[in-house]
Amino acid sequence: MVEEEEESLRVVRSGGSELSFRRAVFSADSKYIFCVSGDFVKVYSTATEECVHVLQGHRNLVTGIQLNPNNHLQLYSCSFDGTIKLWDYLDGILIKTFIVGHKLHALFTHANAEDSVFVTVNKEKPDVFQLVSVKLPKSSSQEVEAKELSFVLDYINQSPKCIAFGSEGEYVAAVRDFYLSVYFFKRKKTSRFTLSSSRNKKHAKNNFTCVTCHPKEDCIATGHKDGKIRLWRHFDDDKKYTYTCLHWHHDRVMDLAFSVTGTSLLSGGRESVLVEWRDAAEKNKEFLPRLGATIEHISVSPAGNLFCTSHSDNKIIVIHRNLEATAVIQGLVKDSSILTGLMIDPRTKALVLNGKPGHLQFYSLQSDKQLYNLDIVQQEYINDYGLIHSQLTRAAFGCSGNWLATVEQRQEKETELELQMKLWTYNKKTQGFVLNTKVNMPHEDHITALCFCNAEKHETPTLVTASKDGHFKVWILTDDSDIYKEAVGWTCDFMGSYHKYQATNCCFSEDGSLLAVSFEEIVTMWDSETWELKCTFCQRAGNIRHLCFGRLTCSKYLLGATENGILCCWNLLSCALEWSTKLNITVMEPDPNSENVAAVSKSSVGSDLFVFKPSESRPLYVQKNICREEVQWGVFVPRDVPESFTSEAHQWLNRSQFYFLTKSQSLLTFSTKSPEEKLTPTNKQLLAEESLPTTPFYFILGKHRQQQDEKLNETLENELVQLPLTENIPAISELLHTPAHVLPPASFLCSMFINSLLLSKKTKSTEEIPDDVDMEEEKESDSSDENDFTEKDQNTSTTDLAEDGEDIIHQLSKSEERELRKLRKVDYSWIAAL
Amino acid sequence: MAAGGGGVADPLTPAGIPCAFSPQSQAYFALASADGHLRVWETGSNRLHQEYVPSAHLSGTCTCLAWAPARLQAKESPQRKKRKSEHIETSNQIDLLALGTAVGSILLYSTVKGELHSKLTSGGHDSRVNCIQWHQDNGCLYSCSDDKHIVEWNTQICKVKCKWKGDNSSVSSLCISPDGKMLLSAGRTIKLWVLETKEVYRHFTGHATPVSSLMFTTIRPPNESQPFDGITGLYFLSGAVHDRLLNVWQVRSENKEKNAVMSFTVTDEPVYIDLTLSENKEEPVKLAVVCRDGQVHLFEHILNGYCKKPLTSNCTIQIAAPGKGKKSTPKPIPILAAGFCSDKMSLLLVYGNWFQPTIERVALNSKEPHMCLVRDISNCWAPKVETAITKVRTPVMNSEAKILVPGIPGHQAAIKPTPSQTKEVENKRKLGGNEVSIEERLGALNIESNKGKADLPQTNSFPVLLAQALESNDLEMLNKVLQTRNVNTIRRTVLRMPLHAVIPLLQELTKRLQGHPNSAVLMVQWLKCVLTVHASYLSTLPDLVPQLGTLYQLMESRVKTFQKLSHLHGKLILLVTQVTASDKTKGMTCPEQKAKLVYEEESSEEESDDEIDKDSDDNWDEDEEEKESEKEEDVDEENAEEDEEEEEKDEEIGEDRDVASEKELNGDSDLDPENESEEE
Repeated sequence: MVEEEEESLRVVRSGGSELSFRRAVFSADSKYIFCVSGDFVKVYSTATEECVHVLQGHRNLVTGIQLNPNNHLQLYSCSFDGTIKLWDYLDGILIKTFIVGHKLHALFTHANAEDSVFVTVNKEKPDVFQLVSVKLPKSSSQEVEAKELSFVLDYINQSPKCIAFGSEGEYVAAVRDFYLSVYFFKRKKTSRFTLSSSRNKKHAKNNFTCVTCHPKEDCIATGHKDGKIRLWRHFDDDKKYTYTCLHWHHDRVMDLAFSVTGTSLLSGGRESVLVEWRDAAEKNKEFLPRLGATIEHISVSPAGNLFCTSHSDNKIIVIHRNLEATAVIQGLVKDSSILTGLMIDPRTKALVLNGKPGHLQFYSLQSDKQLYNLDIVQQEYINDYGLIHSQLTRAAFGCSGNWLATVEQRQEKETELELQMKLWTYNKKTQGFVLNTKVNMPHEDHITALCFCNAEKHETPTLVTASKDGHFKVWILTDDSDIYKEAVGWTCDFMGSYHKYQATNCCFSEDGSLLAVSFEEIVTMWDSETWELKCTFCQRAGNIRHLCFGRLTCSKYLLGATENGILCCWNLLSCALEWSTKLNITVMEPDPNSENVAAVSKSSVGSDLFVFKPSESRPLYVQKNICREEVQWGVFVPRDVPESFTSEAHQWLNRSQFYFLTKSQSLLTFSTKSPEEKLTPTNKQLLAEESLPTTPFYFILGKHRQQQDEKLNETLENELVQLPLTENIPAISELLHTPAHVLPPASFLCSMFINSLLLSKKTKSTEEIPDDVDMEEEKESDSSDENDFTEKDQNTSTTDLAEDGEDIIHQLSKSEERELRKLRKVDYSWIAAL
Repeated sequence: MAAGGGGVADPLTPAGIPCAFSPQSQAYFALASADGHLRVWETGSNRLHQEYVPSAHLSGTCTCLAWAPARLQAKESPQRKKRKSEHIETSNQIDLLALGTAVGSILLYSTVKGELHSKLTSGGHDSRVNCIQWHQDNGCLYSCSDDKHIVEWNTQICKVKCKWKGDNSSVSSLCISPDGKMLLSAGRTIKLWVLETKEVYRHFTGHATPVSSLMFTTIRPPNESQPFDGITGLYFLSGAVHDRLLNVWQVRSENKEKNAVMSFTVTDEPVYIDLTLSENKEEPVKLAVVCRDGQVHLFEHILNGYCKKPLTSNCTIQIAAPGKGKKSTPKPIPILAAGFCSDKMSLLLVYGNWFQPTIERVALNSKEPHMCLVRDISNCWAPKVETAITKVRTPVMNSEAKILVPGIPGHQAAIKPTPSQTKEVENKRKLGGNEVSIEERLGALNIESNKGKADLPQTNSFPVLLAQALESNDLEMLNKVLQTRNVNTIRRTVLRMPLHAVIPLLQELTKRLQGHPNSAVLMVQWLKCVLTVHASYLSTLPDLVPQLGTLYQLMESRVKTFQKLSHLHGKLILLVTQVTASDKTKGMTCPEQKAKLVYEEESSEEESDDEIDKDSDDNWDEDEEEKESEKEEDVDEENAEEDEEEEEKDEEIGEDRDVASEKELNGDSDLDPENESEEE
């Protein structure tokens, strides 16, 4: 947060931040889904896939989110910045900040641990993590210090997948390497179970990868590196513990989750298949295959009707209970490496770059949404480790989006290079791309650059490919018609080379009359009419990394950036070096709408941005340290509506916007708006109150409720009386659920039962007794753990029948005793009334 | 078909189906179809974004809809501070959609949450809602209805703010002035209301039928001499049911003029109108009118004062589906709606049917008065769930695509004679023309050879058949001829074939060589014969380089790895011979005294190898020097020699046959570059 004076441009993140870093969390009613995304928490609607709110406030990576167990309309989040924040997610408001101070790696909550949450912190050594519980102090102030940490478990794994809280919060299970440790809160005892980790083949991959606990029973499910799932039971005893194995995954189990009722277990891994194990049996499996990418996380909605899987390609799939994908929340797909760079599709104005393996993704910057993936390679992608797939390495759009050239390569060994170039034409009739020409091995070595001639006056579409084999090829569209059909196809028109140097870059001048091809250190200029070599430029300053022509008034200049950190500008009229400067440029992009060229240079601290005109020696705009990482790609995106910034520093943003992609694949851009102004829209947004009309159902149920309300108002004092009555109902049900052989005779119970029903009327009509009952009720609730001696004393005046009943009751469980006692009291009061 | 959904019983209801593009970036297109479903489409990816069925969709069908203005955006201001990596606020998120129904209620639907947000009923209309307009700033909503009233709603609390009688008959359309202080309403007459006092400011009359659309076209008056009070001098546009004219009106300061200033004429009743506001005097108003007949008319006009004659459109856009066969006539596809993109240079067209419309962005840069776009929407029907989930589009890869592999013409640049070379060739030909003797001599040679061969009557060759086949390009005959395996037959045929058939034959062979390698094996025999026999003829051709360029490239690409292979082969031979030799020497070393003899044997072996090489080299040298007939004999001789050599040399035979066969291949490939060099 370095604040500089007079700096009005800020770097802002634009879309595509990671969604699958941590498990997504459902809201209690399954309407919303929360996911961490960089420094923010995003709230999505599960129905429409739309982002409803962005909760911003953390100053570092958000590492965990959990619903507040005490108020399901609130959300806790923790971050590397050492704070836990409490949010109201419906309105997107920050309620409270708890400052813990340590770097927090994961967050857990549990209903039984009322005012404390559990976090993972790092102590001293880099790889040693501890689970601690943080007491959240109750305070009205916005920022509270929460320093009261109590230690729970040591030496655990950093990932939140490796920690799970058991049913009712009685225990916590953590896995690491080859052992599972379970900590029992009540007994304050840790049990540890170790799997054999011998080096032989059978047990070599026994590592634990994830853990989850059954919501109802004492059962822990663990996932392993070899694809096995183990279900542990009786782990409260160090000796008697057992486990059963489920094995379907052939590779590491990435995540596990029990359904809300615990009847089925969900698992996923690199196979990108969601497996549902019903009744924890190996036979009863259901699959949801073809989810596209490795399943990283699985979560289950508290309502139980939805699941969701987070995938490595930055998407979240919302899946219905019956294993049917209903919604996809897709961010910018993060491929292992972006080879194609950033492009703008002239037709849809979408950002185009590598997407899923072998696909091109079209990303709408306006709506911050992925439009679609275009399957270029059209080969089945097998999600398995160690397989080498065809990669999409280069792509270019030509002729206002009518042509798309793609290059894919697959190289298993050094000598086995497979290259394929495909030229797609946009078919307006069907509104889609159609393959026009496929070229096998267009070059004998890697293709380093690909460019279309985009000059308007150029009639025949022209494409140039430059390759490491020392040649560049010019491809033109020719007429391939024969007597059977009318067709056009691409053919090679010219093949040029220069002293067997590797061709590294190529670009056309704005009017298409000149082609510049760089051969290592040398730039050659070719006439695009005759393909004659016109002249060469050489600065002996290292291989040319970037090459571009100036535009509009600067079209007589050619810019070249070399690997040794020299930026050269040549004048094409005088064929001489105009100027050069020392700048280690990683990205150089000309603005298609103006003369400006943006260059990003790498320095020791970070990356710096320079915007300049080739004709002027002074840069128009310099911004140091735009980001800490290296910038890999950049692109100017033409604005639909030109802005009118008057200040000199902003003028270069008038007609286009500059987007750039860093090494960690976050897409950034520049914004002139202040943070305050950025924040205002959410406050100013059109606030329309929800007011839904009354339905016929409302008239039926609502009237009934109104009547009830009226009654309640009438007998406000009786409210307390009614409460025990409602509590009576489970008592009766429990009575009914008790096995018949332990129950007193029906004749005896019948009278009690009827009496209990009779009482309800009485309590309403007579106002003296309720106080009695109430008092007793309170006592009972207070002394629930006490033994029944005192109560026996109270009940000495009961009838013989009741005493008989008591004998039987002694055989019943405590809770049942209590219930029956209630009935007894009821009975007593009734007699008293008589 | 066009706007067929609009076929409602009442003839005076507008023909269109309620639909609208979302404001600002036109990211969504909302459409309330006749079956009562509200569908929101993504314009960028042409995907169904969401679908909503109001609970009372059968009784109270949607009659009009309007997007709420985007959440307010703060304006630009210069002095700011810097902060790192902050998220771009999706500040222009589009959310609420207001739907008017036939029973008089208004629904507010949240597209972000995908659920009904609120319902405005109490104190509102009791009859069909005709038009809804959001106020651009204060979040108010204005609606008009058949019950003759106009209602102002406060959407924040969902209550009626004000309700007043707008006309003596039903109020059919509304529009809010650009400054947000006035409201236009259309009933029997068009009225301009002051919103604050709800008083009528101006009357306009001119339409005979109910006005279906009202729109302000300018936000600044044309003459800026007078101070601008927010309304005076502005133009607005109106379209009516069953009216092929769109009228333009001007709000005047004096209350005299009540008639339209000018009018635009279209081919049918307007169904959907969109325009770009002109912000200054010079900028023309762009108007896109979708008519009931499925066409879009584009107007571009600078509004200034009167024009008596109705203006016709600058451009008409139509869409048609291609016919199935060649002769069938294309079918028109109705355009349902058209909206200008924010850059004002392209148009979003919605066409097809109401249930699965196609949305396309069309650039407006052509000056043609008529655009007919041919679109195939037959496969658009059938929404696929899977694509909706994976968002993967598969581009078409059909067999019609051209495939270039190394060696096929087009994969590499065709060999063209450079200008200087062609000149040389021309010179050569001229020289030849002058001298004549060479050609004559060659001809004589050919004739002689032909004569010589003709003496011997031979039946086992088919030069005539081949020539005929090449002439007629008869595939069957060609196959019959070219699939012979007998080397002698091939040789004789080639020898006796007419000269003019040589080039066609070569081209035919080239074509066949591009096929499967197995079939190419046969062709190699032919090629070898032709090249050896007719080398001299070929060398006389002036345009040989371009004619045989593809063949040359093909062979080069085919034998690209051959050089390496032969290197490897040579090395292997060397190794094998050395190994066998060392074995032998080992065998010989046992008697130690005879060590010298072993040395001798080695040397003799090497010598023999050298001899072979030399022999073959000599042979080739001779080939180059000698004429084709002799060459051919030479080849025979060479073969014979090789045979003899093989018989002589134990080791050679001992290795394997492959070596010999590869040698033959080697000879083949070597022939061609040599020929090339000869020609040059």
